[in-house]
Amino acid sequence: MTKQQANWSPYDNNGGSCVAIAGADYCVIAADTRMSTGYNILTRDYSKICKLADKCVMASSGFQADVRALQKHLAARHLIYQHQHNKQMSCPAMAQLLSNTLYYKRFFPYYSFNVLGGLDNEGKGCVFTYDAVGSYEKVGYSSQGSGSTLIMPFLDNQLKSPSPLLLPALDAVTPLSEPEAVDLVKTVFASATERDIYTHTVHPFNTALSNFSLDVLQGDKLEIVILNASGIRREYMDLRKD
Amino acid sequence: MSIFEYNGSALIAMVGKNCFAIASDRRFGVQLQTVATDFQKIYRIHDRVFLGLSGLATDAQTLYQRLVFRHKLYQLREERDMKPETFASLVSALLYEKRFGPYFCQPVIAGLGDEDKPFICTMDSIGAKELAKDFVVAGTASESLYGACEAMFKPDMEPEELFEIISQALLSSVDRDCLSGWGGHVYVVTPTEVKERILKGRMD
Repeated sequence: MTKQQANWSPYDNNGGSCVAIAGADYCVIAADTRMSTGYNILTRDYSKICKLADKCVMASSGFQADVRALQKHLAARHLIYQHQHNKQMSCPAMAQLLSNTLYYKRFFPYYSFNVLGGLDNEGKGCVFTYDAVGSYEKVGYSSQGSGSTLIMPFLDNQLKSPSPLLLPALDAVTPLSEPEAVDLVKTVFASATERDIYTHTVHPFNTALSNFSLDVLQGDKLEIVILNASGIRREYMDLRKD
Repeated sequence: MSIFEYNGSALIAMVGKNCFAIASDRRFGVQLQTVATDFQKIYRIHDRVFLGLSGLATDAQTLYQRLVFRHKLYQLREERDMKPETFASLVSALLYEKRFGPYFCQPVIAGLGDEDKPFICTMDSIGAKELAKDFVVAGTASESLYGACEAMFKPDMEPEELFEIISQALLSSVDRDCLSGWGGHVYVVTPTEVKERILKGRMD
């Protein structure tokens, strides 16, 4: 008598990809805005990026219900921290909290693939990358989600991180300027969009000439969040809608 | 564990201006064990047609032997070399013959057709042809290869630049795949010459 298998899964994959790049005094975090289930699109306008603290932003792909629950949990914990310590959580502190929160549910995990980006206490960019159960690492750049296998090798090629095995430990933060990093993120998503059916954004074209400008405003987009000393900035770029 | 992931491979073919480039990694492994670091995955059918075979190494070798046999027969009968389009159809037919017991290979075909027009194509293991104008990829590293090629490719590159781009795309992609790597093998083919180069990358 074989063990009875469940014919229902508590998880679903809503697709999408996210990327983060750390710079000397900025951090760029980006994610597409499509939410899908199987081959169906649920919405073209869903933000996968969440501001956890003044200098800490998280982008998550995977099962968005679990992502939402995780964001809610972290926001609550951050509020408690603010009451107890009278200050905002730093990005490295939030990184540890996220890891512990994920591992807490080691035997019924959050199906959430996260990248955390922000500025550390010295104002330098930092990016932390996670798996679903909380294993994390501070890196110079990372991507997660359905397009990550397409995106990572290209980021490796352009951002050439030094080996983490070197001693003394070399800084993984990229020497690129902020506009260059934002451009790189746009390029990378444009490429991922071409080849990954779950990642989508619309190619930009002149809306003044278009008869369908309203559709463009409602289309799949790339949401880019840039954190630097002057605060947080949000940019949107249209990508392919198909 | 998939039979296509038993040996590990990475293959790219890219189109340039009146030329093409075809590249592969050099690893031959048996699951996690690396057995050879100089394994050939790209074969010259004739000066203007090259075939790369990814997937199960034994099937790749057998398929290559059968194809060389068929091409030699063709040369005897027709007194000329096969065009790349024709060769692609031959590969497709041979693979489909084994529809219900396939060769576990994904071929990449690259060649110069009439008027030196570059031709590339890939197929799945049962012969479904995929023609592309820019690049084709195959192997365990195929997802990484798609990302890297899509980002780096531009049309109408000269042979030297094409070599640089295909090499960078190959090396960055295999560095994200455990089952491919140990260097690279790149052929850049123009109407006048065939240039074979070995790449040194991460040897792991």
